[in-house]
Amino acid sequence: MYVLGISCYYHDASAALLKDGLTVAAAEEERFTRKKHDVSFPINSINYCLKSQNIDVKDIDYIGFYEKPILKFERVLYQHLECFPKSYRTFLSKLPSWFNEKLRIVKTIRKELGYKKDVLFIQHHLAHAASAFLVSPFKEAAILTVDGVGEWTTTSYGFGKENNINLIKEIRFPHSIGLLYSTVTAYLGFSVNNSEYKVMGLAPYGDMNRKTNPYYRKLLKVVDIKNDGSYRFDMSYFKYHYTNKMPSKKLCELFDGPVSKAGAEMEKRHKDIAAALQLVTEDILTKILNHVHKETKSENIVMAGGVALNSVFNGKILSSTPFKKIWIHPNSSDGGTSLGVSSYIYNTILGKKRNYIMKDAYLGPSFSDEEIQKFLDANKIKYSIFKNKEELVNKTAKIIYDNNVVGWFHGRLEWGPRALGARSILANPCNPNAKEILNEKVKHREKFRPFAPVVCDDDALKYFDCDNPIPEPTDFMLMVYPIISKWQKKIPSVTHIDGSGRLQTIRKNQNPLYYNLIKEFGRLAGMPILINTSFNIRGEPIVCTPQDAYKCMMGTGIDYLVIGKFLIKREDNPKDMWDSEKYAND
Amino acid sequence: MGIKIFLIGIKSGQKRFGESIAAVVNSLLLSLVYFIGVGGTSIIAKLSRKHFLDLKLEEPRKSYWEELNLSKEEMEKYYKQF
Repeated sequence: MYVLGISCYYHDASAALLKDGLTVAAAEEERFTRKKHDVSFPINSINYCLKSQNIDVKDIDYIGFYEKPILKFERVLYQHLECFPKSYRTFLSKLPSWFNEKLRIVKTIRKELGYKKDVLFIQHHLAHAASAFLVSPFKEAAILTVDGVGEWTTTSYGFGKENNINLIKEIRFPHSIGLLYSTVTAYLGFSVNNSEYKVMGLAPYGDMNRKTNPYYRKLLKVVDIKNDGSYRFDMSYFKYHYTNKMPSKKLCELFDGPVSKAGAEMEKRHKDIAAALQLVTEDILTKILNHVHKETKSENIVMAGGVALNSVFNGKILSSTPFKKIWIHPNSSDGGTSLGVSSYIYNTILGKKRNYIMKDAYLGPSFSDEEIQKFLDANKIKYSIFKNKEELVNKTAKIIYDNNVVGWFHGRLEWGPRALGARSILANPCNPNAKEILNEKVKHREKFRPFAPVVCDDDALKYFDCDNPIPEPTDFMLMVYPIISKWQKKIPSVTHIDGSGRLQTIRKNQNPLYYNLIKEFGRLAGMPILINTSFNIRGEPIVCTPQDAYKCMMGTGIDYLVIGKFLIKREDNPKDMWDSEKYAND
Repeated sequence: MGIKIFLIGIKSGQKRFGESIAAVVNSLLLSLVYFIGVGGTSIIAKLSRKHFLDLKLEEPRKSYWEELNLSKEEMEKYYKQF
């Protein structure tokens, strides 16, 4: 039995395919169209899912959609009714897309795919909850979903047991932690639904002391937080319920200045605001989790929704709440809801036994050595061939150890926003200049943003002050932990200003080649840790195909590309195919 | 060749013109819907103190959690978009 899940028309359109309950393929549309956070109907992702199993759309038994469009439309209409006449411009700009595509999703599915069987709809936060619980290792767990907004819900909690999910309580729009985070992101001059993680990265540069940060106290005027973590905003500080602009004039006055321009230099005030936002978010989430534990009595917590990507807070959950175990979906933002709805249909609606635990996130397209060689030869690209995997590992480790930047392209593309060793850029974390080299030559990103370390699971506790045993979300780069102080100076390129690192742990059974590479690098450098950053430049999705990878390398300062069994040296090939600086944007 | 380019130019110009007209007509129609439909309903609702969004802080409340109780439903409910 095949079940296909689809999410689209908000941000991060995606598709996921289940075969007899096993997730066999999943990918975001942006990876194929090369438009970051592409919202369009995910025809390329669907085609990839079908092709990966050599099946036709006729073989699909059910298609599931990740939200209830009419319920969402009701909320949008209610916003306009409440906010008349201030919402006039938004009404003109947003309404056409509702009639042209969002309310016509069944027609689109039938027309684009030629699909004639059943299309099922579940609520947005139920899709998040399913993505978190049904593919987790737990038979029972408390569930927390937190994002911007679904139909009406912005935050919900409940519990899951075996095949069933019950979401008990909710916070409703317009009160939303996700939208608070996005509003401050917009205030600081970053793009909404894209750059929230940059604000999280900026926060440690500000004053993280609740007693001395002036904006922390100011931000508490904006939000009323109850002891059970429930919250409500003073909406006079916001405009997102009636315009596309999020902070109101009153919020700008509270923050002592106007909205920052994109790319503007961050002053101390901005850093303190980012810190205050992170502190308030942590206050709310800690209270919610304590309340959820009290209500559900479970030792396990699963989380999804965009706010569950707040890896700084995630790393504190087990030490600051009574929960003992945690699991977070690697694609916990809206992209992951296609996998959530397909799992919900198979396990809950149809009542089939849960037989899949998500142990890794390698669910996207892969390319054989023959396909890669065909591409290289057709484009007259100079390359050498590794004799075997041992030589590949040894030579690549030496290249990285010699302070070269390597594009690493192996196996199936990652599911979710993080590069986890299939489409990664790797570098030597012991090189004090690595951060600057990567930022200036390759990633073109803000100087304050740290790079992430990857370490084998059996070495992690030696270098990082992690929870023990190491929680599985660390495999998906979803937890930030302190780097043990004596190592911080040895790996400056991955040590953030507060001494933390957003580490990825890799287990041998997940990706043996990547695991062995890190171990071999450790043998050479004395530190089995690499810099792992996503294989893209700023503003571009992670590379998908060999062509994307080659173009990215040739337009940047990446020195070598290790792709399948092939090694390509940038210097051996003609000058830049494209100017990556031109393409780098927010 | 020159005529072909000229015709292509005419065609794309016509398309742009058509799109502009459609945008103007759409904006006019949507404006009518907004000011008559949405505006009328909104004014009546405000007069009768009906609110569509919960915008007010209610500090005396002990909790802002609201009942959701979302769990497995009858199969037919999943066919509905609401």
